[in-house]
Amino acid sequence: MRDGCCRILTKNGWEVFTAENGKQGLEHLKAHSEETDVILLDLMMPGMSGMEVLEQIRTHHPDLLVIVITGYATVESAVEAMKRGAYDFIPKPFTPDQLRIVVRRALEKRTLQKEAEFLRRERERSLRDVATEKSKLKTIIHCMGDGVLVCDREGCIVLSNPAASRMLKIPEDSLIGNYINQCHLNSELLRTIEESLRAKDRNYISVSQELSIGEEEETYLRAHTAPVRNDLGETIGSVTVLQDISHLKELDKMKSEFIAMVAHELRAPLAAVEQQLTVILNRMAGEVTEKQEQLLSRAKERTKGLLDLIRDLLDLSKIEAGKMIQYKEPLTLQEVIQKVVELMKTEAEQKRVDLQFIPPTQNPVIHADRNGMEGVFTNLVSNAIKYTPEGGKVQITLSEEGGFAKVTVSDTGIGIKKEDLQRIFDKFYRVKTPQTRQIVGTGLGLSIVKSIVDAHLGSISVESEEGKGTTFTVLLPKESGPNFHPC
Amino acid sequence: MPKKILIVDDDPDLVEAVSMILESKNYEVAAAYGGVEGLQKAKTENPDLIVLDVMMPDKDGYAVCKELKADPELKNIPVLLLTAVVSKIATTRYTQAAGLETEADDYIDKPVEPEVLVRRIETLLSK
Repeated sequence: MRDGCCRILTKNGWEVFTAENGKQGLEHLKAHSEETDVILLDLMMPGMSGMEVLEQIRTHHPDLLVIVITGYATVESAVEAMKRGAYDFIPKPFTPDQLRIVVRRALEKRTLQKEAEFLRRERERSLRDVATEKSKLKTIIHCMGDGVLVCDREGCIVLSNPAASRMLKIPEDSLIGNYINQCHLNSELLRTIEESLRAKDRNYISVSQELSIGEEEETYLRAHTAPVRNDLGETIGSVTVLQDISHLKELDKMKSEFIAMVAHELRAPLAAVEQQLTVILNRMAGEVTEKQEQLLSRAKERTKGLLDLIRDLLDLSKIEAGKMIQYKEPLTLQEVIQKVVELMKTEAEQKRVDLQFIPPTQNPVIHADRNGMEGVFTNLVSNAIKYTPEGGKVQITLSEEGGFAKVTVSDTGIGIKKEDLQRIFDKFYRVKTPQTRQIVGTGLGLSIVKSIVDAHLGSISVESEEGKGTTFTVLLPKESGPNFHPC
Repeated sequence: MPKKILIVDDDPDLVEAVSMILESKNYEVAAAYGGVEGLQKAKTENPDLIVLDVMMPDKDGYAVCKELKADPELKNIPVLLLTAVVSKIATTRYTQAAGLETEADDYIDKPVEPEVLVRRIETLLSK
């Protein structure tokens, strides 16, 4: 019987093990349950009965499929075996085909079962992966050197890390779960986060600002704040990343102080030299020949140029040291530009350049330093006049765009080459062409302009076509104090 | 009788150049090469006007001006402050701040153009 079955099944390519009785069978299973899929079990055996063996198999190897072979072809014993967990039964006597069909069906079932098991395990593992991924992320954020602050759309802090609490000098438990306006955040940062939560304009991407924290041991932070939006473009929260830049600031300060010191030391003797040249040129030290006058005038012009350069350097080092932009107040840009245009009128008339301020339809108010803003537009307008040939035009416009005030200064001047465009805001960079050779400048004007605009969280960009003209566009955030927001 | 002007500046070259401008306009000139000396000479030289530099090592122009204006005998001498143009952008604030601190009667940037200097001095003297 055993051998007969074995032959039939082996022919089909299945591997077959046999056991003489229940005990032997169970022992074999103990060692080889992994390789076993289906068990053919005779119910009528000497010693341990088939039913007992079936029960043992069901207890220890619940996955294995048992087909019982019922000697008497009694329905009762077959039903009983099925009740106890057999998968199928086959009555004796049976043909090889009958055996094959029953075994094949059981094997197919077993394959499905294995696949289901495999899928179940896969799912379990990926769930576990998600969980570890979450804790991994938490660990990373926790250990990061940069501070992270995340708040929801209501302004409640939902995530922060130790670095953030260290940098902001606020205990961690006063951050998480608290509203940003209740945890003594730096007021400038608070304002930026509130603005990013309110920003409806999709172009509002991120704001980068410098903060000084603490009074006794002042530290400097750079904060990048960005709104988080969902698929519909609605703002659902805000993320701020903080970096401690105190050591950079310290270096920068030293550099600025050094520049300031050197500049003062250079300026005093130069001022004296220019004063002496002035005295000679005014014939206060005796007669001067025509040739001497020509040379001395040139010398005076060169010292003037140097003094200009030193002055610009000082301005720049002061702006960079944060000393210049300290008096921010609500400003109407229209008024500032009007004043600059008045001041530059003579210069424009002398060069026969048509200087126009197109009357704006909107009147944006910004939060800015008056002197700084005058400096920005004086520089831009004076540049435009300088680089525009006689009979040309310089035009200034003012409007609002999103949360920004937008000022453009365009000229019909010589324009800027493409390769020069990206470098014109660099310090000491001057465009060198035959047309610019005669124009006096320090190469610092535009970097000063950019520094001031940056210090106001604004941006400046330039478009130009050689031979046609240049347009500078300045964007400055509009005043957004409590009076300006309906909330 | 020519008017007497006291020039206070720690830079001798600058003192000389300014003196030459003033002398060419027939002013009498006295010179001091520091803040402390300047205060002394303001008393001894009895000047009609003082041209005062700001940046001086021993005592700066602001301090000198404050003392002059606090002295009942000297407070009526007009003071013309020689400010170095240290900044293009913040010039207005610089002069505003200087004015508040010093109560100087006028300010002039250095280096100076002779006709501007003389005009300012004449204006102050005619008051």
